[in-house]
Amino acid sequence: MNHSETLLQTPLASAHKALGAKLVPFAGWEMPLDYGSILGESRATRESAGLFDVGHMARIWFRGPNVAAELDHALGGCITDQPIGKARYTMILAEDGGILDDLITYRTGQDEFFMVVNAANRHRDLEILRSRITESTIDDITEDGGCILALQGPDSVRILQELCDDADLSPGFLDLAWPGSPFGQLFVARTGYTGELGYEIFTTAEQSNAVWQRILELGASPVGLGARDVLRLEAAMPLYGHEIHEDITPFDAGLRFAVRGWKTREFIGSSALQAAAPSSKKLIGFTTDKRVPRDGYPVLANGIEVGQICSGAFSATLQKPIATAYVPLDCDGPFTVSFRGKEMPVDVAVLPFVPHRSRD
Amino acid sequence: MRPNDRSYLDSHEWAKIDGDVVTLGITDFALEQLGELVYLDLPDVGDEVEQGIGFGEVESVKAVSDLNSPIDGVIIEANQALADDLESLQSDPFEAGWLIKVRVSGDDALAHMIDAAAYEEVVASES
Repeated sequence: MNHSETLLQTPLASAHKALGAKLVPFAGWEMPLDYGSILGESRATRESAGLFDVGHMARIWFRGPNVAAELDHALGGCITDQPIGKARYTMILAEDGGILDDLITYRTGQDEFFMVVNAANRHRDLEILRSRITESTIDDITEDGGCILALQGPDSVRILQELCDDADLSPGFLDLAWPGSPFGQLFVARTGYTGELGYEIFTTAEQSNAVWQRILELGASPVGLGARDVLRLEAAMPLYGHEIHEDITPFDAGLRFAVRGWKTREFIGSSALQAAAPSSKKLIGFTTDKRVPRDGYPVLANGIEVGQICSGAFSATLQKPIATAYVPLDCDGPFTVSFRGKEMPVDVAVLPFVPHRSRD
Repeated sequence: MRPNDRSYLDSHEWAKIDGDVVTLGITDFALEQLGELVYLDLPDVGDEVEQGIGFGEVESVKAVSDLNSPIDGVIIEANQALADDLESLQSDPFEAGWLIKVRVSGDDALAHMIDAAAYEEVVASES
């Protein structure tokens, strides 16, 4: 399959081919699905360290004397009190409180923020943000040859220290750091999408390939988007289009922390959140013996459809299938799932399926 | 080259005829595309299969795939042990990894299928 004529590529495209990656189209980009084993790559991340190319995600700078207040109004999160040098998870809401996208803001200065949003929503997000943010400058650098390398797993600390030749380097959870390295100064955030301790490294065009190669030499395994989806689902971290979308509010998704101060602050979507009754649904986890409940499969309680699967995957960590679904708040099962017409019982599981170690 | 003692479908099933019994399976290429397997669902002995209709499902970490029957007939044997030994299906799809045996009528049951050489071209076009 040759998609390369129409798809965008990250600066690591040749490196993935050399590693034998299975490349697939994803949100307009050609990305590695796996390097041979989704399960093996999941395990490597949990047991030692995985290295992910997430350069398809959009990188955007916001600058201006009123930028914090403008972002505060445009997003669900309280941005004005975000400390310089810290990352925060929040979202873009519609006027009716529905989730248009989730994202991370990184405050790099009093009047400067960096933002990473989902690749699939890049252009819509930019259009929305440009309509909501009129004084500050907005600079989309997604295609500048730079990249995002996610280094995740318990060995990440050692690898980052060796990468930067600094045995004391150890940024705290959600901290930003600009350590020196043989590749020049790096921009690092202690963030990730696996539930593991790890970092996301924002490389320049000159750094992308050299840093990728060096991190592999230091012992990380390359990990594709297939395992990334397994890992984030094990950690019950939401994915746009699955657990979160326009018909889901932050309350439905259990993401109240992403709209901190919603009762008293004013931002786009806040009136709807303030007026809304408490959520009528809840996100729950399922495990099964063998079959993977997949996106869209009906969920039933007492033979009546009460919801649909949001995400499903085979968990390498638990060695069994896992899935999420929204069901009515007062519905406690027992639940069955219709697997392509065959109804089979599923077990309710506590979320996250795998405990987070990102703050360790 | 894949075994030339049997016939293939371009949906990556194989069929081998011996008298009035056809053994069905899926090819190594199908398994390579599916990736790591998690589940196999085969029908029971005595069930009927119908040409062009799915007789079971194979599921991998990535996706669920129907098993398509190239023939009409009645199942006389199903390799149910494979469900708990997916490794055999993955590593030996043309022998130990056979799926079902079907009694057919007429010796031209596989006439509409393609031979190993033609199947190589199908694989080449999808690789």
